[in-house]
Amino acid sequence: MSQELVKLGLVEAVNLVRTGQVGLAEIVEDYIGQIERQDKKIKAYLTYNFGPALNKAREIDSRSEKGKLAGAVMAIKDNIVTRGLRTTCGSKILENFIPPYNATVIERLEAEDAIVIGKTNLDEFAMGSSTENSAFFPTRNPWDLERVPGGSSGGSAAAVAAREASGALGSETGGSVRQPAALCGLVGLKPTYGLVSRYGLVAFASSLDQIGPLARNVADCAWLTSVISGFDRRDSTSADLPVPDYFSNLELPLTKNRIGVLAETLLTGVNPEVAANYKKIISNLEKLGFKLSTVSFPSWEYALPCYYIIAPSEASSNLARFDGVRYGFRANSGELSEMYVKTRTLGFGSEVKRRILIGTFALSSGYYEAYYARAARARQTITHEFQTAFKQVDFILTPTTPEPAFRLGEKQDPLSMYLQDYFTVTANLTGLPALSLPSGLTAAGLPLGVQLIGPDFSESELFKFAFLLEKSFNFKNNIDAITTVREEEE
Amino acid sequence: MLTFLLLLIMISMKFDLNHLSQLANLKLTGDEEKELPGQLEKIIDWVGQLSRLETDQEEKFTPVNFSLRLEADQPEESLPPAEVLAMAPDKEGDFIKVSRVLAGK
Repeated sequence: MSQELVKLGLVEAVNLVRTGQVGLAEIVEDYIGQIERQDKKIKAYLTYNFGPALNKAREIDSRSEKGKLAGAVMAIKDNIVTRGLRTTCGSKILENFIPPYNATVIERLEAEDAIVIGKTNLDEFAMGSSTENSAFFPTRNPWDLERVPGGSSGGSAAAVAAREASGALGSETGGSVRQPAALCGLVGLKPTYGLVSRYGLVAFASSLDQIGPLARNVADCAWLTSVISGFDRRDSTSADLPVPDYFSNLELPLTKNRIGVLAETLLTGVNPEVAANYKKIISNLEKLGFKLSTVSFPSWEYALPCYYIIAPSEASSNLARFDGVRYGFRANSGELSEMYVKTRTLGFGSEVKRRILIGTFALSSGYYEAYYARAARARQTITHEFQTAFKQVDFILTPTTPEPAFRLGEKQDPLSMYLQDYFTVTANLTGLPALSLPSGLTAAGLPLGVQLIGPDFSESELFKFAFLLEKSFNFKNNIDAITTVREEEE
Repeated sequence: MLTFLLLLIMISMKFDLNHLSQLANLKLTGDEEKELPGQLEKIIDWVGQLSRLETDQEEKFTPVNFSLRLEADQPEESLPPAEVLAMAPDKEGDFIKVSRVLAGK
């Protein structure tokens, strides 16, 4: 067990396995060793899949023909269903749920010989920005174990950052791939709404949800995105459009160079190191020859309240299915309607209840017009502002998060947690693709991320731009130094 | 005028937790009973600031900006019943068993 194989990037490992230079079983064994050594401290995973993973790896090794992801060891967020492998959504109400089918993204990964090594921790039903809302336990940030990895895809981010997987899938509703990616020094993408099938993603807010990859670098992220993307007839909101080869396009020249940045007023209240990092990047981009201009977003401040009406409203509808009848936890009762109430009262955590109640309120008679309908119109206003912006710029650049990784237990007030989504919710409301890229470290050594937003289905250009920036940032991922120090302390 | 009336409604409203709990089929327990009502009022207040945004855009419920493929409604193979029933908390034969349903309440 060399421990060196876990340091290989995803595309690197795939090339070595497909050309027969390294055995996949060896790689999987290395990852299992890494997880066994570290995960009791980090707690990225809810369920391990070691036995089936090794069997699959050996089967793949025995073949001469190998898929495009043979060599990839994937961590999967636990709100994406995996047939025969427990899927909890981070909730007691699904604690023992074993899905009878695979999500489309899982089928696509496995068709290309990716290994699913385990299911990762998340805020319950993807509601949160720190993974502290998991009904089971919090996950810790590998960069500083006293801090959160972000959320809701915190387990997926921690797993990749700690070398417990070579890549991961997470899901987004308001920033839940990009924010943990930023807090853990990773690349994370929210694809254009409709690019990646939602079939098998346990629904939180159906008009906002998208599955997205988390990876160590842009090339790995691009490779994963091509495999999981594309039309799926089982998702009625799936885009019937061809999927480009994002990876091969990376080195092609970037034809677009107009970048929109946010006005100073939208950065008030943001952590000073985040603001300074953002300004430094802007001046570097000018030196690189990009044309920067400030873009006006008069409604940016309203995106968060708009999101926190729409998302809970849709959640209140989507989570009605958890009633103890067909699957999951059931609280026994003499009478059916009491069974529903007891099941949901005991099965759901506090944040889930908060959001269901807010959503129920916003949709209820007498309040629907003032809340939900108003938010739906606000959503359009915000969308139009982005469409206007993209007439004068090709990309929009923002910080990903208002602050770096905060301490566990620091944000007790729900509103202070909701504010973490300040820069990310606009991409979900508008459906636009957005990528977070590591852009530096704070003085205390915590990762910072910068966000790139593009027009609909512009992932090819986004990846190219991110690839270029990645080279110029030269982000030093010193996570290996951190984990080595931790081991010495044992 | 309409905006003004809506504002009035919002100011005078109270978050009726009992009513909403009934609609949502869930209750608060333990510490939640103490902490959540205040938190919920604060959140509703906070999202209510959306009323300050002038919107004369249409209501659009999804960000779908492409045409969706339509298909004929053809029956296909469903999930295997045995696997689906395996997750039922209680069953009898091919049926899922639940608590007694009372007529009226």
